[in-house]
Formats: sequence, C-alpha cells, structure tokens
Amino acid sequence: MRTESAPAKSGQRYSFFIERPVEKDRARRFLEIFAAILKHSNYRFVLDIYSRLAARCSRCAYMCPVYEVTKNPKDIPCYRSGLLFRIYRRHFTIGGIIQGKLFGTGYIDDQDIDEMAEAFYRCTACRRCHLECPMGIDHGLITRLGRYILSEMGIVPKAMAVAVREQLQGKTRNTSAIPAKALINFCEFLEEEIRESKRMEVKIPLNLPDAEYIFFAPVSDYLMEAETLMGIAAVLTVAKVSWTISTGYFDAINYGLFYNDHLLARIAQQMLAETHRLRAKKILIGECGHASRVAKNFLPYFSNHHDLPPVVSCLELTWTLLKEGWVKLDPEVISQKVTYHDPCNMARTGWLISQPRKIIQSFIKNFVEMTPTGTKNYCCGGGGGTVVIDEIRQFRTQVAGRKKWEQLQATGAEIVIAPCANCKKQLREIAQDYGLNVEVKGLHDLIFMALKH
Amino acid sequence: MESTLLFLVKGPLFRFSLAIMALGLARIILIALTAMVQAYRRAGNHNIDLARIIKQTAAGIIPPFSKLSHPGLYSIASYLFHVGLVIVPLFLHGHIQLWKKGIGISWPALPPTWADGLSLLVIFTGIGLLGGRLASIHLRRLSSLQDYFILLLILGTFLTGILVAHPNWNPFPYQATLITHALSGDFLLVLVPFSKLAHIILWPIRNLATELAWHFPPQAGAKILSTLGKEDKV
Repeated sequence: MRTESAPAKSGQRYSFFIERPVEKDRARRFLEIFAAILKHSNYRFVLDIYSRLAARCSRCAYMCPVYEVTKNPKDIPCYRSGLLFRIYRRHFTIGGIIQGKLFGTGYIDDQDIDEMAEAFYRCTACRRCHLECPMGIDHGLITRLGRYILSEMGIVPKAMAVAVREQLQGKTRNTSAIPAKALINFCEFLEEEIRESKRMEVKIPLNLPDAEYIFFAPVSDYLMEAETLMGIAAVLTVAKVSWTISTGYFDAINYGLFYNDHLLARIAQQMLAETHRLRAKKILIGECGHASRVAKNFLPYFSNHHDLPPVVSCLELTWTLLKEGWVKLDPEVISQKVTYHDPCNMARTGWLISQPRKIIQSFIKNFVEMTPTGTKNYCCGGGGGTVVIDEIRQFRTQVAGRKKWEQLQATGAEIVIAPCANCKKQLREIAQDYGLNVEVKGLHDLIFMALKH
Repeated sequence: MESTLLFLVKGPLFRFSLAIMALGLARIILIALTAMVQAYRRAGNHNIDLARIIKQTAAGIIPPFSKLSHPGLYSIASYLFHVGLVIVPLFLHGHIQLWKKGIGISWPALPPTWADGLSLLVIFTGIGLLGGRLASIHLRRLSSLQDYFILLLILGTFLTGILVAHPNWNPFPYQATLITHALSGDFLLVLVPFSKLAHIILWPIRNLATELAWHFPPQAGAKILSTLGKEDKV
C-alpha cells in the first residue's frame, strides 16, 4: 500500500509504497516509540538544545535544494525539524506540558503522522542547511530521527525495507540479492574484460585471509558499474596492493544510515564481523558516498573489538598510490570536458574533497568545477536513500535534483564524475528527464581508461 | 522622590528577574552539560575532534560580511543587532550606576554618544528584522508567537531606554517612561530561560552538542526494540 499524503502546495504529489498496513492510533504509537528512543539513545539532549535554540531565521532555507525549487514553507528545514521539536516539547518536557495546558496547543494528532512521513522523506538529509544555521542545528540528524520513529511504526519506503531485509536476513546477505556464486562469476568476468581491454592480468583475490585491505563495494556496482570495479581492481593490481573480497559478505551499502539506527548497527556489525573473520588489516570502501561515511564514522560506534581496522576510501588510496608513483595515468586519453559531483556523504564534512580533485587534475586536461563546489556542492537530489524509491522519481528529478541539473548545464560538461552508486543513478535519471547530454561516470572508470601499465 | 513602583521595579523586581534569568540559564546549561557527558560516556566512540569544534564555534563570532550568505541583508542586520544588544545593557553608564548602588560592582562605561549610536543601531536593525519577518510569507509560516513578541519587547525596551536617556526627546512623562523601560527590561530577563533567548547560554555549546549527537550508543537500538516489545526482525 502507499502512504497517501495531501498534495503539497507545489502540486507535486509525494507518496511512496510501504509494506505493512499502518496501525490504528498512530499518534499514540509514535509517542511510545519516541519515548523508547529518547530513553535509550543520545537524542534527548540534542532535541532539547535544538528546540530551544531554533531561531526560525530561515537561513537554512536558502541552502536547501528542495526549498529553492518549491519555495514551499513546508520545505524549510527549520519548519520540518520544528514538526518534531513541537511534539518533543509538548509531550516530553515540563515546559511544553504546561504550555499545552495553558494554551491547548501542540498536541500530536493523526494528521501529524502523515505530515511528518512526507516531510522527512522530502528531505535528502544532505545537511547543506547545517552549513548556514547560525545555531548549528543539524537538520539532517532530525530528519533521520523522524524517519527512525516512523520506521518503527512501519512507515518506511518499501524499497529500502526490502533491500535491508535481504541484507540482514536473506541468504545472499546483500541489498541486490546477488548470490556468492554470481559474485564469483562477476569477478571472473571483470578479469576477462580487463584482460581484453587493457591486456592486463588481474586476479581478484577472493576470500584471502590476512590481506591488507578487505574491499567492500556498493553491491549494485557488480551489476551496473563494471568499469568502476575494473578501475579499482586494476589500480590495486598495478600498485601491488594486498587486498581481497569476501564472498561471504561483500556489500558496502548500509541503508540503516538513512532511516533506522538499529539496522545501521546490525549492518555495520556484519561488515566488521567479516573483516575480522578474514583478519584483514584495513577496510577499503568503493565508490559509494553513504557507505564510505558509515564505515568511516559509524563503525567505531558498533565495534565490540578494540582493534578497529582503519577505514580507507578508494579515492584516498588511489590518490596515495598516484602520489607515490605506483599508479601512472595517461593525460592524453580523456579529452572531453569533465566536471565533478561531490557526493554529500563524502564532501559535506570536508573529508573527500581534495583527493579526487588531485587525481582528476593529474590526468584530465579539460576539467571544470561546478558552482558551488566542495562542501557547499548541491545534493544530487537522490540522497538519504530517496534514490531507491522509484515511485518518487518525478519529484527527485524535477524538484530535489533541479539545482543539480542547473549546475550540470552551467558547466557544459560532457562527462560528470560521481564517485557514488546512488548519485550515479540519480544523475542519469536527471540527464534522461531533462534531455541533458552528459555521461555519468565513476572516477575509477576514467582512471581505468587512462591507466598505464 | 522616587515612587514606590519605580523603587520596586528598579530594586527587588530587577533582582528577582535577574535571578530568574540566572537560575533558569544555569539550570538549562547544567542539564545540557550533564546530558552531554552522559551521552559521551554511553557512546560507542569517544573520538572527538575538539580543535575543529572549537574553531567552528568561534567562527560564529566572525561577522558574515566575507561570505555573504543569503539572505545577506538579514545576516548583516542580525549581526549588528546583536552587537548593540549585548554591549549597551552591560556597558551603559546608567545601568552601571544601578549595579554599583545595588551590588557594589562596577566597570567602565560606554561614552554616551556610543551608547546612543549602538541603541539606535539596535532599534534600526530590529525594525528591519521585524519587518523582514512580517514581509516574508515563508518567515510568517515558520514563525511562532515568541519570534515577534520578543523582538517587539526588545525594541520597546531600547526605545524607552533612549527616551529615558534623552528627556528632551521624550514626549511622555519621565517616570512613566522609566518604569515602562524597567518593566519591559525585567520581563525580558524573566523570559530568557523560557524562550529562544536561551541561546545566550546554549550558543557556545551548539557545535559540541551536534557532534556528540552523532555518537550513538552501541546497544541503543536493541534496547529500544526490547522496550517496545518487538522482535529484532526487519
């Protein structure tokens, strides 16, 4: 069934499929779940602080790619977070209860659930708003909290729920339901392709114990982004890096980041368990924004071991290998005009900004930056897991991704590099829906083309 | 000869309001800090880049002129508004005389022309901010009662303050203006812990709070499920 919400003023209907029928007395259920989360998590103090601090100045609005297009007050990040702040204050603080008794306002009702379900999924949690908020409020955090509560009452996009279920309970243990045998075939296929196109012998080491790096890619890459994986495999081979892929668990994706902290923990623990099983010294993440961020920032929270392996992004590693001379790239191969899209989860905190650019600048002559760029770059429009919700494609490309389209148009680039599986899908859909003639490629796709060996 | 009302308003009522503000803010910050320490202890990861957070926090003091964020006019107005708002009440000669009589503490005062200039700045930018909030449909949708009321109260306090300092500009009786000024100032102090003015004490810890909020307790998810009586099933 679909959640049905009232059409937003901008005329865009926004609804997505959910699985279980929603329970009666949803408002009460919402409060119960909220109470349980406040009791055991670390959200309470920050909700309290944010709800007192919010200045409602709307500086966040001018950073939000969704608001910039709809100009709908409901898309102002502070307004959206305010939905949750209001319920928190009214039902969980003394001041709010007194205020409620005095003025009779703020009590949660069933309509609020619908409003929140729509609001929290119109947000891509790109956290661009956080850069401008004078009170330092992280609206992406609140969006995730709202989604967490809703997910515990069964309001979660079906696409994400199904993928996560397969990853945690299915036989294949990954979001694309790829069986281990198929993975082995894919790897052989990649080795073949590399041999044919580059005349290079690459052996993808499977299940190698004690390797320096255990590699996790967004599993959809095995189905859809062969060139990215070929690039990574070729770089690692040419630089004689010790690495491996485990056929037991090989999916970097962690949709728990988008809507449920508990699932985030469980999926993260799977990655850790596999790393320790093969005794790999470091974790290497492929071209995926959220997977990189989860591995880097969240694995430490859920690690029961004190010897947590360092997490390295393939962008960082390739840059290091390039710097040290292990990898050589031919600057004559890529002649098209190329631009670079910063995936939110890599760039918003300033983590992976210079590394990919330095790689690009070493072999791509005709490189042009978008405006804005780096930490301030716009979300592709499909962030926060919204890209996997096919039924909202129109919203994603026409609204959430509109600023990205404008950026792409302005660069006039023929190729846009997007080192993130989700961004790639979204950018391709943007290109299709707007009739924009631009190729979407991973960074390692181009590296593979230019690799000298 | 001071009227009783004026005496009350300048003396006990002021002390009372100040106490409410101080105690209220102290409560807020103590609860916040205690909760943050608790959150830190519960968290699975104790790695915090304190240097970055301190830099980020301090950067908020820098005027937003170099990287003019949209809406630029609002940002500048808000910044200047705060400059006057913080300096004038603390460094006005008249106020310092009051505290000197009351608690015996005093410190250097602003030259009168500066006090006038800054007060007018507060009034001018305050009216701009109020107008901006009223004129924008988005801000009207976003705003709650306190967003207008507090601004009006501040404007009222500063307006009556200027009129008190310049009796020849003042069309109203001096005593009445003074009482209104003191009353609205006292009311403002009382409101501080119960409104968004609490940002006075919370603003310095805003970035640290955000950072800590991202440090999740490892067992939280499982405990939440068990509290809700749900099985760990996806």
